[in-house]
Amino acid sequence: MRGLLAVYRREMLSLWVTPLAWLLLATFLLLQGGVFYSIVVHFVQMPDLSLDAGPLPAYFGQNSVLLSITLLLLCPALSMRTFAEERRSGTIESLLTAPIGASALVLGKYFAVLSTYTLIWAPTVLYAVILRTTGTVDWAVLGTSYLGLFLVGASYLALGILMSAVTRSQLIALMLAIFVQFGIFVLGIGEYVFDPGPLQQLCAHVSLSTQLDEMSKGIVDLRRVVFDLSLVGWGLFVTTRVVESWRWG
Amino acid sequence: MIDAFELTKDYGTVVAVRDVTFHVGRGEVVGFLGLNGAGKTTTLRMLAGSLGPTSGRVVIAGHDLEREPLRARGCLGYLPEAAPLYPEMRVREYLEFRARVKSIRGSKVRAAAREAAERARVVDVMETLIGHLSKGYRQRVGLAEALLGRPPLLILDEPTAGLDPNQIHEVRELIRDLGADHTLLLSTHILPEVEATCDRALVIHRGRLVAQGTLEELRSQRTGSGAELHVRGDAQRARALLGELPFVRSVNLGAPREAAAPSAPTTELVELEVRFDAPPTEPETTAAATSGADVDGQIEDCVRALVNAGFGVRRAGPRRAALDEVFRSLTLPAAPDGERDATGGSAS
Repeated sequence: MRGLLAVYRREMLSLWVTPLAWLLLATFLLLQGGVFYSIVVHFVQMPDLSLDAGPLPAYFGQNSVLLSITLLLLCPALSMRTFAEERRSGTIESLLTAPIGASALVLGKYFAVLSTYTLIWAPTVLYAVILRTTGTVDWAVLGTSYLGLFLVGASYLALGILMSAVTRSQLIALMLAIFVQFGIFVLGIGEYVFDPGPLQQLCAHVSLSTQLDEMSKGIVDLRRVVFDLSLVGWGLFVTTRVVESWRWG
Repeated sequence: MIDAFELTKDYGTVVAVRDVTFHVGRGEVVGFLGLNGAGKTTTLRMLAGSLGPTSGRVVIAGHDLEREPLRARGCLGYLPEAAPLYPEMRVREYLEFRARVKSIRGSKVRAAAREAAERARVVDVMETLIGHLSKGYRQRVGLAEALLGRPPLLILDEPTAGLDPNQIHEVRELIRDLGADHTLLLSTHILPEVEATCDRALVIHRGRLVAQGTLEELRSQRTGSGAELHVRGDAQRARALLGELPFVRSVNLGAPREAAAPSAPTTELVELEVRFDAPPTEPETTAAATSGADVDGQIEDCVRALVNAGFGVRRAGPRRAALDEVFRSLTLPAAPDGERDATGGSAS
């Protein structure tokens, strides 16, 4: 994979020297702070709790509509510029003539947005640290919660990069990625809409919100992990093919 | 260094490049000439590997571009048209990034970036954001990028487009320096550029290669040979005299070289442009020429005829066709030698 690291470093630099990543980080933390605050205040007023209820599972799972909205804003914004911008400005030309393969290009960019996504989530670990001063935190469950967020984010970002590769316009890439992500979300809602049957089961299987909910309780279902990884693999594979197809355009 | 075999790019609605075959040898500086939209950029992109040909084959430094794409691309530096760069990066960051992409490793990255910057004369802006640079500098940063790792082959797409005269001069100087230790293929629609920098030219028109050769070959091939004579005497009579010679196709009267005294029109010094018939392809047919069929012999005959008739001959030499005349005759076969300036620049 020649050149992957170089592409990764450039992409990270571009994300963090332009206002985009910082703007997302600031907005994100402000929003999440508000959400977490209201969850904690809510739980303070509840006299007794069941075993798996608490501010952290609520934050990472049971209110996952809020989480889905957050991801709907965060992931497409991170992935929109990856290829669209390169093609609009023409810089893709010198990348295509460089001695690196399309897969190194796609993976380098993908790992950069995925790292940025992880970095943006990183400060929220503080929430658990704060809670620990007044109660107990199950770190293993916290770990699976973050695993869930990581996997769902990874899937969305892979699809977002694909959307960025199919257009020259960042705005259209953003809209497409939002549509795709929203489509997956709506498919997941089907679990509660349809009568029990194969269709309802299908929706339950692909529901990423249900996955977040499960993982916030410490349940790691391998089928869900496989589903996420397949989305990532499929998205990146198709993106690589799209990038290669530019040579034949 | 470059071998292109029957390159064709068919976009479905339009065939941008058709059956282009040529060879560029090691160490050559070759100009790639054509009007805007003739297929220059398409061809260069196919050579650089960012665009795949519909059919045909490209071999770069012995590596087939399709079968060993990374090796082939590793042998070339490419400056795309308008040198697109990342405005948010500093020049040094950008060059180091490109060096890493070109598989230059670890400690050598910084040195390679520095060396390329020195050769392209952008060292003084290493810490400047690319977005803040002038167009001339950006072009040279693009050139520095192409130079990274000293690839044996450089492909430059319109390296002087959009620059001011001073910048054009600088870039041309640079290109001439680079020609010393790189094989260079550069595209342009500006003819003086080719005359200033190249040994050989390829002319592409409407997607087809219409001519190739050294500049001298192109000149004689298209316009035929001829002579330029400065003659003292009656211009009309000289013209008629030369017109009688069997190998002379036409005689054009140039501007009077010296104002004649009104009393004596016969002492006027005039410039005559004589065009000969195309050099004979079958040598035995030209018995008429006494001193052989080559241009020098023909000029000798002209001078002898003039001197015998009492004319003074101040200067005689072979006619050098301006390259833009050649170019126009190649790209506008039906148009008369007229005022259509399709070349975008005038010969200097």
